[in-house]
Parts: sequence; C-alpha cells; structure tokens
Amino acid sequence: MLGKLLKHEIRQSGRSVMMVYIAAAAVVLLIGIALLAKITWLSLLGNLILGLVAVAGVLMTLVSVIKTFYDTCYGNQGYLTFTLPVKCSTLLFSKVVTCFIWIILSLVLGAACGAMMVLNTKAMADGDLAGFFSIFQMEEIQALLPTKEMMISGVAALLANLLLSILTFVGFVYFAVTIANTRPLQKHPKLFGFLTFFVSYGVCNAIGTKLTYSLPLSLVVTEDRLKIAFTAMDSGEALFAFGLGGTLFMALVALVMLFVTGYIMEHKVNIK
Amino acid sequence: MDNLITVEHLRKSYGNKVVLDDISFNAQRGQIIGLLGPNGCGKTTLIKSLTGLIKDYTGTIHIDNEEPGAYTKSLVAYLPEKSYLPDWMRPIDAISYFADFYKDFDKEKAYDMTTRFGLDMKQRVKTMSKGQQEKLRLLLVLCRNAQLYILDEPLGGVDPAARAKILDLIMENHAENSTVLISTHLISDVEYIFDRVLMISDGHLIVNAHVDEIRAKGKTVENVFKEVFSYAW
Repeated sequence: MLGKLLKHEIRQSGRSVMMVYIAAAAVVLLIGIALLAKITWLSLLGNLILGLVAVAGVLMTLVSVIKTFYDTCYGNQGYLTFTLPVKCSTLLFSKVVTCFIWIILSLVLGAACGAMMVLNTKAMADGDLAGFFSIFQMEEIQALLPTKEMMISGVAALLANLLLSILTFVGFVYFAVTIANTRPLQKHPKLFGFLTFFVSYGVCNAIGTKLTYSLPLSLVVTEDRLKIAFTAMDSGEALFAFGLGGTLFMALVALVMLFVTGYIMEHKVNIK
Repeated sequence: MDNLITVEHLRKSYGNKVVLDDISFNAQRGQIIGLLGPNGCGKTTLIKSLTGLIKDYTGTIHIDNEEPGAYTKSLVAYLPEKSYLPDWMRPIDAISYFADFYKDFDKEKAYDMTTRFGLDMKQRVKTMSKGQQEKLRLLLVLCRNAQLYILDEPLGGVDPAARAKILDLIMENHAENSTVLISTHLISDVEYIFDRVLMISDGHLIVNAHVDEIRAKGKTVENVFKEVFSYAW
C-alpha cells in the first residue's frame, strides 16, 4: 500500500510544483537560443528569470507540501484519505517521504539554476567555458581548495544537515496543521495552525540555540578534515567549531511531533 | 444471519452538545437499512463514526467483529454527502485511484458505468456539473463489491425522476449479501427498499424496527416517521 500511496501523493503534490520545473526547462532553452544567436539582452533576461525560478521553486514546493497535507487530510478530500484501507501511520509516512522528495528536488533545481546562471554569465562575457573550468586546475587555486577528504566530509555534513532540516520543517508543520484540526481548535484551523507552528518552533528554536553553544557535541574543522568532537562550540578549543546540539534537538523534537501527529490521526481525528 | 455491524452505547459530543447518546443497534448481513431523522439529528455523525472519520467517541463500534480501522475500511464503500474528489481528478484518475486501493473494486464495471452515465473519462471534476459529479461518486461506490455500503443522503438535491434511477442503481449494483445503510430524510421515495429502519431524534435512537413489523400494524415507514417527528413539522 505504501507504494500506491506514494504514487498518488507525488502525483497530487507535484501538480503545482511541476509548472516551476517546466518553466526552468523553458528558460534554459531560452538561454541556449540566446547564446547561440548571441543576443545578450535575452541571456541577461534568462539569468534573471532563472534566479526567480530557483526561488519560486523552493517557495512553491514548501507551500504545496503544506497545502497538500491540509487538503488531503483535513479538507473535503479527508473523506477520501481517511476512508482508505491503510493505517494512519502508513498514510503519514507516505506524506513525509513525498515531502522529502519534493523539497530535495526543489533544492537541486535551485542549485542547477545557480550553476546555469554562472555558466551563462561566463559564456556571455567571453564564451570561454573551457578556460573557466581550467581555473580549478591552477596550482594557486588548488592550494586554496579543501582536501578531498575535507570535501567529502563537508558534503556529508551538509547533506545530513539538509535532511535533518527537512525533517524539522515537516515535523513542525504537520504537527501544527494536525493540532489545529483537532476538535477544540477546529473552528479556526488556519489561525491555530500558524500559532502552533510559530510558538512551538520559536520555543524549540530558542532551546536549540542554547544547546548549539553549550552541548559538548560539535563539528570541528581541522587542517585537513571535519570531525565530530565532544566539546562545546564555545569551549574555544578549536578555531572553527559548529555546535550540533541545536540541530539534533530540533530534529528529535520534530520526530516526536511526527509520532504525536500519527497518534492524533489514528485516535483523535475528527473530519469536518 | 450474523451481525455485520454492532454498535453499543455509542456517545459522541461536540463540546457540551451531545450529538449521539447511548446508541446501540445491530445490522445483519444482507439487509437494507434506512437511517432516518431530520437534519442535524446525528445521522452523519453516526455514519462518520462507522467509517472511521470520527474517533473521539465513547462506546464501541464493531464491523465484522473489528473496530473501525484499516480492515473495516476495506469492507466499507462509503458515499459521503460532501464532494470529496479533488478538482483536478478525471473519472479515469478516480477509477485508477479506487482500483489501486480497494481490492474489491471492479474496474471494468466502472468503465462501463462511466459510459452508461455519459461521463467523459477525461473531463476534470471541476468542470463537471453537480449532477455529473454525483454520478461519478455514486459509480465509484457501486463498483465495489463491498460488504457494507454506507450512503449518506444519496438522494439529497436530486429531482424525483433521478431519485428513482439512483435507487434502482443501488438495488441493481450492490454486492450480493451485502448490507446497505442509507441515510435520508426523503422517506416516501425510499421506504419500499428498506428491510429495517433506524430513526434518530436528538441523538437518541428512538425506532429500531423491521419494516414488516411496521407494515403488520397497518402503517408505512412514512407514517411512523411523521408520528415520531411531528414536532419538527
């Protein structure tokens, strides 16, 4: 059933986001034509639109994820969703996975748009893209670049942070939307949804910030690599240290919120 | 005949307002049951409790000896009063959706009924008329070989000629030996199909009788309904 839920969930939430991806592809085509025809103003316009598409992609994805969750669970479509022969935990899991997929895709789209803008700018300047990439072969530049090990651990740390951030976003949003649709708050779901999100996120974020500095768990930058150290960020033992307490705390709270959301959906749901 | 639905001491309130109070009844397999009562008497709340859309009630509900959950939802074909299909969906999407999730859904029958109803497979719900949307929702329910059909006001907002057609469709298409629970306040059009009637007033189950018993007393279901709910008129 999970596979079927994912199929329909991706299809539903992708409807609004898909337009942004089509727009991005159209702009890339436009830039290609502008470069071939050497129309500078069109290339510049292409760059501007790419920037907008990148931002719109991420924003629309986030809005779509929230809207789809609300519509399919607590709007009229809830009559369809909550009468499916599946457990609420499976239903919620499919929505979380779909959310991860779309947010990651929107970030990939943003990064691709950024890279395309750089290449387009360089191509407009002198058309020497090979020369542009050869910069990275220069010894002086290579000396400034981090080591391969550092890059790998840096990317791994970035990815882990990204996944935990998405988990945090999903956990807080789904929890807020679900709480706002329980019986006592159901008359003003949007108001209570926003309130629950901002209050819970604000409080947890304040605690998380405190833990970022004080919890003895940090990501420390050494000369050749990144490593986990059991020292506080503000201990002064490393030149660059990033406290992990806050991120882990927020992700943990989000995980708890998802469990509570699943419980409410299973036992306290009250579709209007 | 064994019981498909068993409800015992069901109570549900919205804040201080008690909507269902100490409701108990059984429904046997193969019966067509009318759930009758004026608007706001608790019919939809009872139906939503049976279908698992409301869970914060006290008392017990069992369908095929299980509490409402994933298993019972696989047995129940539910037609809500509300329009629940997303705007972008087309009949072809809705049929694929139901076929994916309900093992008892008859896809071929659904295609056939779509044609018989004159629905365009690729027309989006948002561009359909109210009547076309109702036809689509009804066919999605009737194309399941379910054990229990729960139809909430299937005749509401429909002209008398269409009501007769809808009733015929329900009678022709519900699965053999299945139980059908129909909520309505349009008694005269429907009463001939009922085996049993449940009448709810202000959250209380005040009549739970076999239609033959009512007829044996020389009455019709509508007579009983008018006697019971005379205060409402």
